[in-house]
Amino acid sequence: MLRKWIPCLSAALILAIIASGQVSAQEKAPVAAPAAPQAKPTMAKICANCHQPQPSNIRGIFDNVSYKTQSIQIKIDEATEILKFDDKLKIANIQAPADSPDEPLRALKKGKEVRIEYTEKDGKKLATLISAKAPIKVAPEKQVKTEEMEKLVAQGPEKGKYMLIDARPLPRFQDGFIPTAVNIPFPAFDKMKDKLPADKAALIVYYCAGVT
Amino acid sequence: MSPDSARRAENLGYTNVKVYHEGVQEWVKRNYLVLSTQYLKEAWIDKDIPHVLVDVRPAKDAEAGFIKGAVSLPAADVAASLAKFPPKDKKAPIMIYDQKGGDDAVKAAKALIAAGYAPVDIVSGGFDAWKAAGYPVQTGKLAENIVYVPKPRPGEISFDDFTKIAKNTPPDTLILDVRNRDEGNAGMIKGAMLIPDEEIMDRLAEIPKDKKIVTHCANGVRAEMAYHKLKDKGYNVQFLNAKVEIDKEGNFKIEKP
Repeated sequence: MLRKWIPCLSAALILAIIASGQVSAQEKAPVAAPAAPQAKPTMAKICANCHQPQPSNIRGIFDNVSYKTQSIQIKIDEATEILKFDDKLKIANIQAPADSPDEPLRALKKGKEVRIEYTEKDGKKLATLISAKAPIKVAPEKQVKTEEMEKLVAQGPEKGKYMLIDARPLPRFQDGFIPTAVNIPFPAFDKMKDKLPADKAALIVYYCAGVT
Repeated sequence: MSPDSARRAENLGYTNVKVYHEGVQEWVKRNYLVLSTQYLKEAWIDKDIPHVLVDVRPAKDAEAGFIKGAVSLPAADVAASLAKFPPKDKKAPIMIYDQKGGDDAVKAAKALIAAGYAPVDIVSGGFDAWKAAGYPVQTGKLAENIVYVPKPRPGEISFDDFTKIAKNTPPDTLILDVRNRDEGNAGMIKGAMLIPDEEIMDRLAEIPKDKKIVTHCANGVRAEMAYHKLKDKGYNVQFLNAKVEIDKEGNFKIEKP
């Protein structure tokens, strides 16, 4: 995507330089070069929490699909991106609805986070893969079991060298919490970043209500 | 919420982030929780939310000054007095305090947990912390019998009313699902609108003022927070305080949280 812009950018710059050269030669006053066209965003802000932009990839919020025109509409914050697709479109993490097995994208609800890989030809984007965000699964080695939790709490944060964070909303934390925990509700993560330990290697354990 | 938080922390460069996935739900089966005197006062006593508050100090110490609503039951007697407590299946929140939040409270809590009661909370710092905070103290005889009458939280809709609305939503009512998108994608109640709780304040324009709004989430917590936000904005709103499971077809099951 970025690479595609480079020729346009340099052309615009050259024009600007020529233009400003002519103007300043005639009027002897500096003139600002016109702003270069801005590249369209390729990733919604919410996706940037966990992902880096990748070439030929768009990450955004699914808006809708039309099988009639074979196009998908994606929201990237304020911007809207429309991509065409054809029969070769690959699909990941999406299960076709029972009533339209041939049109699996109908299973996507407006607002779902998706990643699309595409190719671009003559300024038109053709989606080659669409993948819906899967629910986060925690790898077994990253899980703390009740027994380990009990041992840590018995030692306390200083001796056990840990920080225990309750990610539930404040009203539930107020009902009672695991001893030694501090409350950093998930939606407040950014606001409370400074509460995290200075040492990036420190053990941090998160918990919430549990598997429901 | 905790896996999301863990992932965010890793993105900040933390290298040793773990998740206690079983969470509070499992913890309380074998362990006590704690809460501060401030939370006891503000989230329970001031709001008149039903709970059981037990003063486990010797009766004469308790009579010299205790927290309003407390029942006297010395720590050593708790194990033999289980019959005084509400039946376990009522899941009455039990709060225990002693003088300083020490061994007596732990002993009493352990006796209750061993007998299958949950959740059991210890008040951090005990009566001394309560007094130090300048909170009101009562003197004289404490109640000896535990009275626990569950009652709906302000704004709570009854299960019957919710079920009726969910099965056939009247035109003047809107069910607002405040779970996140992943949860919504897995299945929603027919006719419900999804706005994740944290987005409500930015998306008020989408929520009709002329309809009665009923919020729900997966366990009642976010639904209650959404209720407060909407109520403050002048909406006619109620919330469902329940565990809710919804399948792909929109069939739902609700039970006590």
